Amino acid sequence: MPPTDSINELPFPNAADAVLSEKPSGIEREVMELFDQFRDPLLRYALSFGIPVHDAEEVIQEVFLSLFRHLQRRRSQKNLRGWLFRVAHNLALKQLYANQRSHAKTTSDWAIAEGQFDPSPDPEEQLSSAQRCHRLLAVVDALPEADQGCLRLRAEGLRYREIAAVLGMSLGAVSISLTRSLARLIRADGR
Amino acid sequence: MRSQSLHLSDMHLSDQEMLLAADGELSTRRAARAHAHLAACWGCRARMAEIEGTIADFVRAQRQAFDLQLPPIAGPRALLKAKLADLASDRESNSWRSLLHFTSTTGVAVFLCTGVLIAAVVGGIFVHHSTRRGENSIVAFERGTLPDRSLTPGVTRRVTIIDVCSMAHEEVVGEVSTSLRQDVFHEYGITDTPAEGYEVDYLIAPGLGGVEDIRNLWPEPSTSHIWNAQVKDTLEERLHEMVCAGKIDVSTAQRDIATDWIAAYKKYFHTDRPLGVHSRLESLDLPRFGGRNSAPREAE
Repeated sequence: MPPTDSINELPFPNAADAVLSEKPSGIEREVMELFDQFRDPLLRYALSFGIPVHDAEEVIQEVFLSLFRHLQRRRSQKNLRGWLFRVAHNLALKQLYANQRSHAKTTSDWAIAEGQFDPSPDPEEQLSSAQRCHRLLAVVDALPEADQGCLRLRAEGLRYREIAAVLGMSLGAVSISLTRSLARLIRADGR
Repeated sequence: MRSQSLHLSDMHLSDQEMLLAADGELSTRRAARAHAHLAACWGCRARMAEIEGTIADFVRAQRQAFDLQLPPIAGPRALLKAKLADLASDRESNSWRSLLHFTSTTGVAVFLCTGVLIAAVVGGIFVHHSTRRGENSIVAFERGTLPDRSLTPGVTRRVTIIDVCSMAHEEVVGEVSTSLRQDVFHEYGITDTPAEGYEVDYLIAPGLGGVEDIRNLWPEPSTSHIWNAQVKDTLEERLHEMVCAGKIDVSTAQRDIATDWIAAYKKYFHTDRPLGVHSRLESLDLPRFGGRNSAPREAE
């Protein structure tokens, strides 16, 4: 049994046994708190599917409306972070397929990242840093979808069992996937 | 036993074990063994550093690729809040429908008889009062809920969506200076009524590009029971959210709120009455005036 840490705590106090107020305002407040906490990570994850920003925003709105209905129906509140990412994953995939039917996939991560790196005043360092980022993101883009999902979800702080639940994989498969992907990234980086 | 323990801690760690250890996914016993080995083995520590360094680089690259694309949270947050309020109000009305959904015929009969009795008693009281003085005074109160268009056509400044959406929440609705309030009262001929009975309100709110100009201000009676200043504030916030979410453009929001803000409320909230306002006068058909459909003027 893996140990837990503070990151792994659910967003509600005593979340496993949390009882929300029956009043809609109580549920609305909880949903808004979760929105404040998870909107950016979920939006980044949705964008990683290659959908445009406005579609990703729509996906996130729908995720939290679904959460509201989920809580209204008094469904399980265990691991809501995993639940949010799972719903975002499914809706983003659905949106991606819908977009692919109408037009080609939008700009990939590394192309989006182009010209956005400005961490250093030294142009040579800046270029080198940008190139490394491009290289890493290009390697990630070339990974199988499940491996990309594991990496991106782990980068957003999800634990292995949450990743397994989002992607429908076993814990062991998540562990192997992450190890394999990191090995590829290390090789690509020439470390 | 001791020799076995020494043997295990001497074994090099695989990449998978190192990652599991770094991610806190090992059992306590296996984690202790992994950390003991890392403390003793420079080779594994160096490999661990490579793994950690690559993780850091990937996280940084991922953030840099996406973070600049993320729009500010305020607009989407406000939009979600409005949608949740709609959902919650749907739920309230559904719960009333379910309350009325009796399966027993007796239950229906008892409920209807009780309803008729209550309606008769309350209706009698209401008719008695309204025929004497209630209706006139109510209409008088509600009359000021729309501005006189000849005095208050609405005035805007040139704004971009960035100007509008970067405003702080308190700037969206806006306050009016005291001296201008007096001018507005004077213009509307309000001299014998306490100023506390009115809120000088923007026709087009600052959050939608409206300006603090006498042609964009009117005295709204604070005693209005249904369509009052608080309800209009809610509309202003909703329109601001929709503009920032790209649902409508600023000029549409300005035109709709300046033409007839009550009609705009009904349009954008999909309702015939203010949400969340418990009015005793819901069925009152309010008279409107100044229905001229002119676009607001832009400030010179």
